[in-house]
Amino acid sequence: MQGNTACAEGALAAGCRFFGGYPITPSTEVAEHMAAKLPKTGGVFIQMEDEIAGIAAVIGASWTGMRAMTATSGPGFSLMMENIGFAVMTETPCVLVNIQRGGPSTGQPTMSAQGDMFQCRFGSHGDYSIIALSPSSVQEMYELTIKSFDLADRFRVPVFLMADEIIGHMRERIEIPPSVPRVERKPLARGVLPFHPDEDLVPGFPQFGMGYGVHVTGLTHDERGYPCTTSPSLHEELVKRLVAKIESARHEIADYRVTNPDAEVVFITYGSPARSVEQVIHDNPSDRVGHLRFRVVWPFPEKTLWEFPNARVFLVPEQNLGQMAREIERHTSVPVISLPKLGGALHTPEELKRAMEAWR
Amino acid sequence: MTYADWLREDRLPHIYCAGCGNGTVINCTLNALDRMGWKKEETIFVSGIGCSSRAPGYIVTDSLHTTHGRALAFATGIKMANPALHVVVFTGDGDLAAIGGNHFIHACRRNIDLTVVCMNNQIYGMTGGQGSPTTPRGALSTTTPYGSQEPAFDLCELASAAGANFVSRWTSYHVKELTRAVHTGFETPGFSFIEALVQCPTNYGRRNKFRNVMDQIEYFKTHGILLQKVKRLREEGKPIPDDAIVLGDFVQRNRAAMGVRR
Amino acid sequence: MRLVIDERRCKGCNLCTMVCPYRIFKPGTKPNARGIVVPELDRPERCANCRLQALYGRTLCGMCQMICPDQAIRWEEEKPGEATKVAIEF
Repeated sequence: MQGNTACAEGALAAGCRFFGGYPITPSTEVAEHMAAKLPKTGGVFIQMEDEIAGIAAVIGASWTGMRAMTATSGPGFSLMMENIGFAVMTETPCVLVNIQRGGPSTGQPTMSAQGDMFQCRFGSHGDYSIIALSPSSVQEMYELTIKSFDLADRFRVPVFLMADEIIGHMRERIEIPPSVPRVERKPLARGVLPFHPDEDLVPGFPQFGMGYGVHVTGLTHDERGYPCTTSPSLHEELVKRLVAKIESARHEIADYRVTNPDAEVVFITYGSPARSVEQVIHDNPSDRVGHLRFRVVWPFPEKTLWEFPNARVFLVPEQNLGQMAREIERHTSVPVISLPKLGGALHTPEELKRAMEAWR
Repeated sequence: MTYADWLREDRLPHIYCAGCGNGTVINCTLNALDRMGWKKEETIFVSGIGCSSRAPGYIVTDSLHTTHGRALAFATGIKMANPALHVVVFTGDGDLAAIGGNHFIHACRRNIDLTVVCMNNQIYGMTGGQGSPTTPRGALSTTTPYGSQEPAFDLCELASAAGANFVSRWTSYHVKELTRAVHTGFETPGFSFIEALVQCPTNYGRRNKFRNVMDQIEYFKTHGILLQKVKRLREEGKPIPDDAIVLGDFVQRNRAAMGVRR
Repeated sequence: MRLVIDERRCKGCNLCTMVCPYRIFKPGTKPNARGIVVPELDRPERCANCRLQALYGRTLCGMCQMICPDQAIRWEEEKPGEATKVAIEF
């Protein structure tokens, strides 16, 4: 199965019943598969006039209680930024799949990149926090799409599936479980103010059409949901809560894979470069090469770096100029070496091996 | 029930300036809504950004106050996801015709079962009186200090051409007709577009020789001309005044629609 | 029924003075506590709605209420036993 198809299948298995999007290479197969399958499951597929409208329709559909998603790539992702901020402010659960391609601008539509890792975290204006996952195989495309929906519903936040073109267009055999457990949205208790957070800092979801009479606005709002834009303390409290509900749960959200925790030379990867590192480990079993692979990239779980107490160096191969390497550097005193590669080609095992040799 | 039961009493008085026509359009819409007998929990108000778009905040139903120009895209998502809901969109001229122009024509083309009430004050009111796509030629605004040089959009012609099922234009002076038009819009399956010209005393009237609110209402009253009369004048080969505001139902048809309640 | 202007909501735009067929609303003269000059009522008992709303069971004219941008005009039930003045016009 192809990565993009696996993503669409995962979404359907997770109970996604609304897809609003706009075709863009290399993510089109997600939309095509959803267009074919959604009507048969009682869902709605709508091709909007642009990506801005795509994410807008997804947010609208999400408020009616549906699990909703969209899929795009770099330029479309840039267009969506304003409404992503809206989804964060209004705490709308939704899933965005970004099959990353080479940028900036139109760049390399059919080539792989990981250049949007900072954009998904910081792209919209203002301070906020989101969740981003990064699959490195077709199986994970399926699994992490399902996980995205669960995280989105649990934390009421947009969740990004930051795949790259290689994973999106790769074909692999995958295992589909007979049934998928599902985390439901916590409904708003009657008599509670619509934006009053529970202990986990996430308010219950006041679904449209259920008589809550809720006002949802992108303006700074109080717990009733009414706009109140002139109170500094209210704004500070709201933004701090929106960030804290994700950041305080980052070690719980964290999802990663560790190989050889006693290693001195450690590769840190996410997405397709992980596959080259696995080849290096496979080819050199005696070298005890460490490998930390993130499946959840944002919020960044810094404690995972402690899994390698003997580490002398962290090598970070990425298909960008060292975006996550910079984040890792912030959290450790161990030297972090970025191994950037642009242009769409994957790091070869030989390149990685050479980088590793320098640190023996 | 009366229209007052649809208002969030604790939120009033609203933020509109004294004499702003938006409040009148809210009255007319709620009156029409009241006549339809829809339930509060089945009705959703959606809006974008601007003066007009603050209106859903004063209405008791579920409401979504979205980003600039995107109200129709959000409303499309809601209506397609749950056709049982009645979705009403409040929007303004800048919101609908400038930044949201693409969403507007595509919503008309899809003919989604929405009712869109556009409060056209011919200016960007909330940001302080900048020229909008519907500012008439020659009118003064903060970004057209020498008079607008650009021809203005005729939103009703645009909606008709793009395929809306019901298109109507009235002003905030013609409250009874506006209420009836909104009511017809609610009843019509498919995309209904009602343009309501409203006075903006603070930012439009003040700069364009309408010294107080009544002057602009008087202008609507004297310059409004029925569509039927325009057609008759055209047939008779008589001239139609340049500054006439054509009022009436432009289109009422039964094109195939999307998102209609099953 | 009695015609009432809600002074907490009225912003003094005087649109009601323009549309009332009986010219019941007159531009006010004195600002109230909020600094707003609320229109005054000139013999409001002449209002068709005051007299006949209960009889017909619906709002009869209602232009002032419809055009009021601030939702400030309404008709209130009079308390039983309250003295009412009836103006009869010929």
